[in-house]
Amino acid sequence: MTTPASLGPEAIRQLTMPTDPWLSCDDCFDQLDAVLEETLTHAAPMGDSFRVHLRACAVCHQEAHSLAALVAPDYGIDPARAEAELDAVLRDDGSPAV
Amino acid sequence: MSEVRELTAWAPLRHPGPHLRSEPISNADWIDDLSATGPRHDTAVARLHDLMLRSAWHQVTRMPESATLGSRRREEIVHAAADEATMSVLTRLDAFEGRSRFTTWAYKFGILHTAVEVRRSAWRDREIDLDSVPEFSASDTGPEGYVEARDLSDAVGRAMVSALTPHQRRVALALLVDHVPIDVLAERLGTTRNALYKTLHDARKALRSHLATQGFLSPSPTKEVTR
Repeated sequence: MTTPASLGPEAIRQLTMPTDPWLSCDDCFDQLDAVLEETLTHAAPMGDSFRVHLRACAVCHQEAHSLAALVAPDYGIDPARAEAELDAVLRDDGSPAV
Repeated sequence: MSEVRELTAWAPLRHPGPHLRSEPISNADWIDDLSATGPRHDTAVARLHDLMLRSAWHQVTRMPESATLGSRRREEIVHAAADEATMSVLTRLDAFEGRSRFTTWAYKFGILHTAVEVRRSAWRDREIDLDSVPEFSASDTGPEGYVEARDLSDAVGRAMVSALTPHQRRVALALLVDHVPIDVLAERLGTTRNALYKTLHDARKALRSHLATQGFLSPSPTKEVTR
């Protein structure tokens, strides 16, 4: 662990990030395929709890991006575009994602 | 697991696909085939395992951490993760509700198992100090807004000490300052990703509340949704 711990702007943003409404990693995983399919095929708005969780949990965010890129061709979408669409949905409130 | 072990004995090493069909398979057919017995079931499991190999390779190649592991270890991870993911899917077939394509649902298991193992392997020999309580210092933020940024950084550092429990503090520091992956930290602490994320959620809430009372953040309404 870094000593002294450096609290730069990114660390502070991460430490003080609002994470309500609550969603667990397990629930995020359970819903991921359905939410992603809706997002990619119908441009459906993502639920607040799911969007907040993906912005606040680095590994769930990474895995969601990976799944979007992998399945994109199955829905006739370019993988890069699918990831960009996911990012756009996560930025919906104007704040930067994780 | 023996069923999967037999499969991997003749599974292709790098390029999965001999059992993948070019035409789409309906969700109902996937479930029926995997729930069947005999050769129909075996063929469906082989197809599923090919899907899991594809997702595992996809995930490994996306993760910068995997570059340091070497090709042999990467290949081991891919096959082990594909095996585990195949078993995860087979044991959770009843949980598939058809809310997405079956393949999209199944792929996420391959991605999860692979990502977890890559992160664990990458951190295997790295020490994580979870005992010391560091001093906090603001990093150089440049002249513009320096004073405000420095004040906020100092306030967050003080809040880390006064508003958080020791467990919340070490989890928040490890995950958000030292960038330890959450599943790696869960393994070291003998807990789960879910439990650590809840600890982090509570820590963030406590920090925000403390900083709001100090005038550094405006209080924000919270809506707790329990499932």
